[in-house]
Amino acid sequence: MISFGISKVLHTAQGKALLDVMCDIEPGELVGIYGASGAGKTTILRILAGLLLPDKGHISVGGNMWLDTTAGKNLAPQKRSVGFVFQDYALFPNMTVKGNLAYALQKGQPPAIIDELMELMELQQLSGRYPETLSGGQKQRVALARALVRQPKLLLLDEPLSALDNELRYRLQGHILQAHKRYGLTTILVSHDVPELFRMAGRILVLEQGKIVKQGTPLEVFFNEQAGGAFQLVGDVVDVNMETRVITVLVYNNVVKVQVTAAEAIQYKQGDRVLVSSDTFSPVIRKIVVS
Amino acid sequence: MTDYQPFLITFRLALITTAILFIVAIPLAYWLAHSKSKFKSVIETLVSMPLVLPPSVLGFYFLIAFGPSHGLGQFIEHYFNTRLVFSFGGLVVASVIYSLPFMVHPIQAGLAGLSPNLKEASFSLGKSKMNTLFKVLLPCIKPSLLTGLVLTFAHTVGEFGVVLMIGGNIPGQTRVASIAIYDEVEAMNYHSANVYAGILFAVTFIILLTVYFVNHRYAITKNL
Amino acid sequence: MCNKMKKYFYFLSLIVMMFCSLTCGAQKLTVAVAANMQYVVEELLPIFKTETGIDVDLVVGSSGKLATQITEGAPFDVFISADMKYPNELFHKGLATEPAKEYAQGKLVLWTNTHGIQPTADLKILLQSSIVKIAVANPKTAPYGEAAEQAMKYYKVYTQVKDKLVYGESIGQTQQFIDTKAADIGFIAKSQVLTDEMMGKGFWIEIDKKAYAPLMQGATILKHGKTTNAYGAKHFFEFLYTTEAKTVFKKYGYIVSAK
Repeated sequence: MISFGISKVLHTAQGKALLDVMCDIEPGELVGIYGASGAGKTTILRILAGLLLPDKGHISVGGNMWLDTTAGKNLAPQKRSVGFVFQDYALFPNMTVKGNLAYALQKGQPPAIIDELMELMELQQLSGRYPETLSGGQKQRVALARALVRQPKLLLLDEPLSALDNELRYRLQGHILQAHKRYGLTTILVSHDVPELFRMAGRILVLEQGKIVKQGTPLEVFFNEQAGGAFQLVGDVVDVNMETRVITVLVYNNVVKVQVTAAEAIQYKQGDRVLVSSDTFSPVIRKIVVS
Repeated sequence: MTDYQPFLITFRLALITTAILFIVAIPLAYWLAHSKSKFKSVIETLVSMPLVLPPSVLGFYFLIAFGPSHGLGQFIEHYFNTRLVFSFGGLVVASVIYSLPFMVHPIQAGLAGLSPNLKEASFSLGKSKMNTLFKVLLPCIKPSLLTGLVLTFAHTVGEFGVVLMIGGNIPGQTRVASIAIYDEVEAMNYHSANVYAGILFAVTFIILLTVYFVNHRYAITKNL
Repeated sequence: MCNKMKKYFYFLSLIVMMFCSLTCGAQKLTVAVAANMQYVVEELLPIFKTETGIDVDLVVGSSGKLATQITEGAPFDVFISADMKYPNELFHKGLATEPAKEYAQGKLVLWTNTHGIQPTADLKILLQSSIVKIAVANPKTAPYGEAAEQAMKYYKVYTQVKDKLVYGESIGQTQQFIDTKAADIGFIAKSQVLTDEMMGKGFWIEIDKKAYAPLMQGATILKHGKTTNAYGAKHFFEFLYTTEAKTVFKKYGYIVSAK
């Protein structure tokens, strides 16, 4: 059981904001943190890892107090059982892939874990290579493997896949899930990619200006119950045609045309963020065959 | 009648000074690169002073501080039975102070230029600050370390003003090559001066060339 | 209108400055002085100024260093050396207008500023273990350094104390070494211990004349002086041999001829 409550003044581009969050995480959970840049997502991870000190707060992991500002207790990052995967991978350029993993090995720990992780992350071919010769995806796998060598109680992932293309993302998400299951990890994943969170997180915290504004399963968080309906699409207006009164909305890579009244058409302009929904809707589903 | 002693003294002085500074400058550079303390500016200024002060000023203060007529010098003479002025040991102490910025600045810049994530990743893997410094940070700034070593060595070889003030020009002890050349010029032995200067130029050129060459080869093999 | 005025103003100030430097330059004399004569000559300058109205700039250094600088083209007008050798050398090179003319004879003293040390005339004090460093001027370029070496050899202490020797760049730096007690004792010129600042400081004894070759000190007019400032150079040079000058030399312990 991991429970924490922290508060810290953030200095954002829009001025000062107060980061104030509280949460309990069950062992084995994979929790996602979702929010815009500057909302404080990375800050939470850094505070949990001990790389940053909050103004006020407490962190307890499995009964051990890692941080208690009222009691003046602050466990050094070295002593916390965390694995951290940075956005820029932070691989040590002076060591090979195997070297990076070996560096993480604790005193007395059997080295078999290194080969195990290299197999899991498909790194065997890259064992003797140096980080600067690796691609983004390869670096990420190394970073993940390295974070797991110590079999940490808490795995912290700071937008680990944001720099990769969709296909690679999908593959690596699989690796993370595999590792999570295999080692019974407790993981916090920071991401601004909704499909990713849908696929990986059991629970999501939505962070806005430093506060948790919504919490729940991905479905609960991203589906607006009040708006109702059988489907909800969030997209951007790309065209408003006043003659035909059709508003064209782009939802990710998909185009939706919505028929509206003249009064409605006037309210929308190109670039607006909109929610398209309907209850009287009988969708038809068809498989896309890749030839 | 070329006397080789001045060269031996010069290179001995340069080697010892560089070795001492390497050990002293690393923790100092680390602190300067990472500290957010209010005193950082003061320390930075002090470290840079030898760059700006004329060597004769340094020599003058050294003479006063370490001469046997005042507190510190008296203390050293009494308890260690040595006088730092007019001795090789004194030249080492003075050179360490005089060449300090040449070792600290490149290392500080190198460390400050590293991504802070490297240090943090190492901490998150349970490694202490010392461990991180020696196993991760320093190996990543090898070019900066080399620059520091080379600059310090070269600067000490070229030292003149400070040695002139506190050396006493003792043959075999404090008559370094730069002073010996100066001496010969003063005595109008231009031929001797030429020989000395030529040897000094050639030897330092070869040393530096070797260092840079080895460094480039090392960088190339690493990239394969 | 404004632009034209500016140009005119700049031109005018340029002319004024040039005029100033020409006229001022013609008056001022540059005299190269051996270190041991610094205070002596400084005392002569006001007297000279009163008599002739000429200003003098002094360049102080060891005789050898000054001779080198003159050889390399240093713009000095008169050279007051601590020996005869250097001015004569310059004369042979065509850089001086006449051979060295002796103006005084110097005296060597043994001086200490460290409490508890008493210099002895036979130099035996140098052998004591309490004497760690002995300061002398660099014999290669300073005549007083050479004389000190001769004296030590005369009293047969040189080989034993050779390792204690510390060489000053000039007699001035030698004095500084002893003054700051960095050196326990050393050899300097008598004129240096007789200046106002040094009166009563430490202990000194005069070294017997027979222990070293006479320190005949000579001066000469330099070629630069003859060509750019003949009037001033000539007057200053001749001034060195007047009774007034001799009185000052004697005051500082130099031996002067009666003539």
